[in-house]
Amino acid sequence: MEGTLLFLMNILTVGAIYAILCLALNFSAGIDGLWDLGLVSFFGIGAYTYVLLTAPEAASYQDYILGLNLPIWFGVIVAGLLAWVLALLVGLPALRLKREYFLITTLALSEVLRQIYSNELWLTNGVAGMYNIPPPFRNGDLSPTSASFFLFLLLIGISLLTLWLVRQLTTSSFGRSLKALRDNEDLAKTAGINPFTSHITSYSFAAFFCGLCGAFYTWYTTIIVPSMFTPDVTFFVWTALIIGGLGNTWGAYLGGFIFILIQEGLRFLPVYGEAATTFTSLRVALVGLILILILRIRPQGLIGERPLKTRSLTN
Amino acid sequence: MAALLTVDNISKAFGGVRAVNDVSIEVEKGAIVGLIGTNGAGKTTLFNIISGFLAADSGQVNLEGEQITSLKSHEIAQRGLVRTFQTPIGFPRMTVFENMLVFDKQTKHHFRRSISPFGANRKIPEDVKANIAKNLDSIQLGDQHDTWLQDLSAPDLKLLEFIRAVQSDPKILLLDEPAAGVNVALLEELEKQIRAVRDKGVTCLIVDHNVGFICSICDYVYAMADGKLISKGEPNAVVADPAVIDCYIGSGGAAQQ
Repeated sequence: MEGTLLFLMNILTVGAIYAILCLALNFSAGIDGLWDLGLVSFFGIGAYTYVLLTAPEAASYQDYILGLNLPIWFGVIVAGLLAWVLALLVGLPALRLKREYFLITTLALSEVLRQIYSNELWLTNGVAGMYNIPPPFRNGDLSPTSASFFLFLLLIGISLLTLWLVRQLTTSSFGRSLKALRDNEDLAKTAGINPFTSHITSYSFAAFFCGLCGAFYTWYTTIIVPSMFTPDVTFFVWTALIIGGLGNTWGAYLGGFIFILIQEGLRFLPVYGEAATTFTSLRVALVGLILILILRIRPQGLIGERPLKTRSLTN
Repeated sequence: MAALLTVDNISKAFGGVRAVNDVSIEVEKGAIVGLIGTNGAGKTTLFNIISGFLAADSGQVNLEGEQITSLKSHEIAQRGLVRTFQTPIGFPRMTVFENMLVFDKQTKHHFRRSISPFGANRKIPEDVKANIAKNLDSIQLGDQHDTWLQDLSAPDLKLLEFIRAVQSDPKILLLDEPAAGVNVALLEELEKQIRAVRDKGVTCLIVDHNVGFICSICDYVYAMADGKLISKGEPNAVVADPAVIDCYIGSGGAAQQ
């Protein structure tokens, strides 16, 4: 019983991370119409930044730079900030491109970064990755179980905070101008909205949260290898967002949890022996199947975008 | 009276086609000025140049004495020159009310204010609400303010395209074919609306095919053909101009006059 609870708690912890990623993507792709296929770039940068800043010095069997052993919250904030800076640098040229070209550029960026993680041994220990990253909140009195519980509560809390912030932004005048750009960019310009500054603000805002998620994710995994940052992550988050409902903040939030529940829940299917190996690959195919079903049956997602109601105009 | 908008010797070529060829027009403050011409005369190209959506090859545009030729379209809009589009789809997945709010000057678009946790800067002022309600009532859309634009009918969208631009409190409105695809009843309504806006001091420059509509509403008319200005003056004089008749109904028409 305790095992099941622990497992569920861990799933929800990852679910919270995915929910934040979905909220970030929903802000740049669902509210502003930026089709970003490079989400994992910021996730990865955040994770590596966090580890390099907070991990202890490299042991003899590993090779990586820094290992500054800095406080974890410092690492988390810098992870977010560096992702934000990267988004600004990439956005400056890339956001001037038309939507299809932006999509290709962001996808390419994420692959370039993964190649860097894999090949710059001095920096990241290459494909072997970095191990034994000390999980947070385990020094001293907390037992491993209560540390997991604490992490679970913390991440649910952070995800709710992000939900609130994104909702504030979406319903604000800034969110409104993003929706206007998404719906009809030419008309939005005649309202005096500057497309470039609006896009780069929303893109880098989303990147900041992806950077934070990268750091949180290493709390959960306690290892970091380049193969954790393949474009699969980007597509998983997109799938989660489409399941939940593109353009709807609550849809995005729940989509993250639902996706992880489906993905991890598939572990419980009773398959044994060689079939189990095959089934690992099939999980990705099943995710694709679910995506197709959603697009076929309920293209707007479980909770689609809805008109934003205002009370009576005259009161 | 001083000219609000002056367009001097604008030319624009697409490959070998000279879409706009050395065109100069003037729009006086408070006037309703029309621009007529057949398909391909270069009217919309000229409109796009004035509003900053296209760069001219040569010539310049001045708004209240300020050169706006090299400004971007959103900067021109911020200076009070607001245009409409032929296809009035608006912002399809935003409500009627949001569509109006986007154009309202008082509710700014800054990120910093938007994340203010106290919400004071996020609240829509009552007078803005009242103003929007008044404008929506004038086109009988007051009770549909929570409807997405993609669920509105075509005539409603047409009127909204116009009233949305008015909401931004412009100095000059550029209306791109407001009468296109509009039935007689709606056209009368639109005429009424344009006059009402002019009475509030907004200058209008209107491009349209519908000569009758232009003549009945405009104080002054320019006529274009093949990228060139072929006539200008009072509406009735322009319509009687053989050069204009020539390009609308062919040289046979001019001969019969």
